[in-house]
Amino acid sequence: MSTDDAAQEETHVDIADGVDHQVAMVMDLNKCIGCQTCTVACKTLWTEGGGRDYMYWNNVETKPGEGYPKNWEESGGGWKSEEHSERQPGEIPEKERYGGDWEFNHSEIMYDGSDEPLRPQNVDPEWGPNWDEDQGAGEYPNSYYFYLPRICNHCTHPSCVEACPRKALYKREEDGIVLVDQERCRGYRYCVEGCPYKKVYYNAAKKKSEKCIFCYPRIEGEGPDEEVHATACAEECPPQLRLVGYLDDEDGPIYKLVEEYEVALPLHPEFETVPNVYYIPPYAPPQHDEGGESVRGVDRIPRDYLEELFGDRVNQALDTIEKHRDRTRRGEESELMEILQDKNPAQQYRLEVFDDD
Amino acid sequence: MMIDGDSGSDRSWLAVTALVVLAVVGAALLPSLSSARPANEVPVGEVGANATDPTAEAWTTVPNVDLALSSAPSGLPGASNVSVQRAQVRAATNDSHAFVRVSWVDDTADRNASDPREFADAVAVQFPENESARPPIAMGGTSNRVNVWYWTGTGRTEELLAGGAGTTTSFNRSAVSTEAVHEDGQWHVAFAREAAMAGNRTDLSGEQDVDVAVAVWNGSYGERAGRKAVSEWQYLAMGPGPQGPPYETILWTVAGLAVLFVAVVTIEGVRRTRGEPA
Repeated sequence: MSTDDAAQEETHVDIADGVDHQVAMVMDLNKCIGCQTCTVACKTLWTEGGGRDYMYWNNVETKPGEGYPKNWEESGGGWKSEEHSERQPGEIPEKERYGGDWEFNHSEIMYDGSDEPLRPQNVDPEWGPNWDEDQGAGEYPNSYYFYLPRICNHCTHPSCVEACPRKALYKREEDGIVLVDQERCRGYRYCVEGCPYKKVYYNAAKKKSEKCIFCYPRIEGEGPDEEVHATACAEECPPQLRLVGYLDDEDGPIYKLVEEYEVALPLHPEFETVPNVYYIPPYAPPQHDEGGESVRGVDRIPRDYLEELFGDRVNQALDTIEKHRDRTRRGEESELMEILQDKNPAQQYRLEVFDDD
Repeated sequence: MMIDGDSGSDRSWLAVTALVVLAVVGAALLPSLSSARPANEVPVGEVGANATDPTAEAWTTVPNVDLALSSAPSGLPGASNVSVQRAQVRAATNDSHAFVRVSWVDDTADRNASDPREFADAVAVQFPENESARPPIAMGGTSNRVNVWYWTGTGRTEELLAGGAGTTTSFNRSAVSTEAVHEDGQWHVAFAREAAMAGNRTDLSGEQDVDVAVAVWNGSYGERAGRKAVSEWQYLAMGPGPQGPPYETILWTVAGLAVLFVAVVTIEGVRRTRGEPA
């Protein structure tokens, strides 16, 4: 649906069998400034030390770019078709493709007055997370890039869950969060090769696999203040580009963006895992000619590249957004633009809507 | 040339005596030299306490059983592609402990799992939890579990209980100790455990024969979990029964005496043809 009338039509939300509700997140890529505050928030909270140094449950990568781990999009995994009967073979990335957990000379520079440049100590790395930051693609004056924050997609058909011979990974019944049971995990890493987004990580110190937990203690209000919080990556985001809630909360903005307006799309739908993290695709200005004038009708970010990431539906999504932008330019009402401009902060994190169930 | 009759007669009797001795000794020795051991038997030798060391001299006195390994049936990626073809198993007891030594060829000693793509070599010895019934070979069954001794190249030894694929559960405290050596492109891993145990642990006190199977993983070949090279069920011949079926000894004795009879008749026949005195 791509009109304001869509809300009146019946919709059906497809969530996984045996799951009561499905947590979901929408990230508006047009708002991401690549500051990595989400990455640091996540790392500080969940992945400091203990064999987790190389892991970024949340990372932000520059697109076009090789990503984290390097070339993850070509690492296999996921399903062969939407039947979800046969899995696509996958690989475990080499450690170098994640990058090392390097020590930097921060204290020498900050406290000891060293004139050395800030750099990793005792290693000469050739790759790491964010190595190709802001590199992008295209030629001046039409070079382009955008940022892509990534967490576990807590998929409706998680191939990591299916890959585990011990059923150590499971989809939580109450909210569809995908977790690794640390008691059951024996570190075989079939989940690592099975996840096409490479969002399950092997902890060599614990000899077990670990992943994003959608900050479940926060959304359950189990923190020190006993208040319900959205995920750390969402709450700490300076431009507040994330919506956090439930896909089947039909009164919430996530449902509207995903199911009604269909402007929030999963990354690489062809992996067939049916992610529950959705993206508002980037709408870039048109290309410029050599004189600096806009070339109307020619996108700066090629549509075929966006189709590679988000599938064919990205065209309809961008057209819908464009149509609604025109409406607001003409002074008309647009619920879609209201949601995307986040004019109702109370709607941004809707995590207690099913508390009475 | 004139042959001395008396000395000729002495020689023939010497030959006959030699043949009798040969037949009797043969009947005793031939079975052990040939494949007289029942199929799937792993003989259990007697050793001293130092059998915890896989290179201990004591192991050389224990019979070696060479087992063919094949890939375990599993839905895991690459499950049919395993690298280890054979394993050699020796079993022994002393007054208090049971020992199993497994040896196999593996050029690389994979002792670490410290990189996302790195897997350690491993070996497991599987017994029925309850010695009186043979469980399904693939990690046992829900009503017929297996007790597994599991060693990995990282140096860790676990004792496990499983009732089917994917149900492996580690004992809180392992009763099994291991020592491992990698030399000349071969792993030798010796497992040791107190022989008499109860509960979820297989009793190896010699009350009866005990089924046993082994599995081997080559870490650098990506082998882990159900992707492994496994043997069929064998049994540790530690029960009080005869060491081998008695008919074998009888058959070998009869065969030896028959050979002896034919030889004597032939010699006598040749002699008479030549006209030698009896």
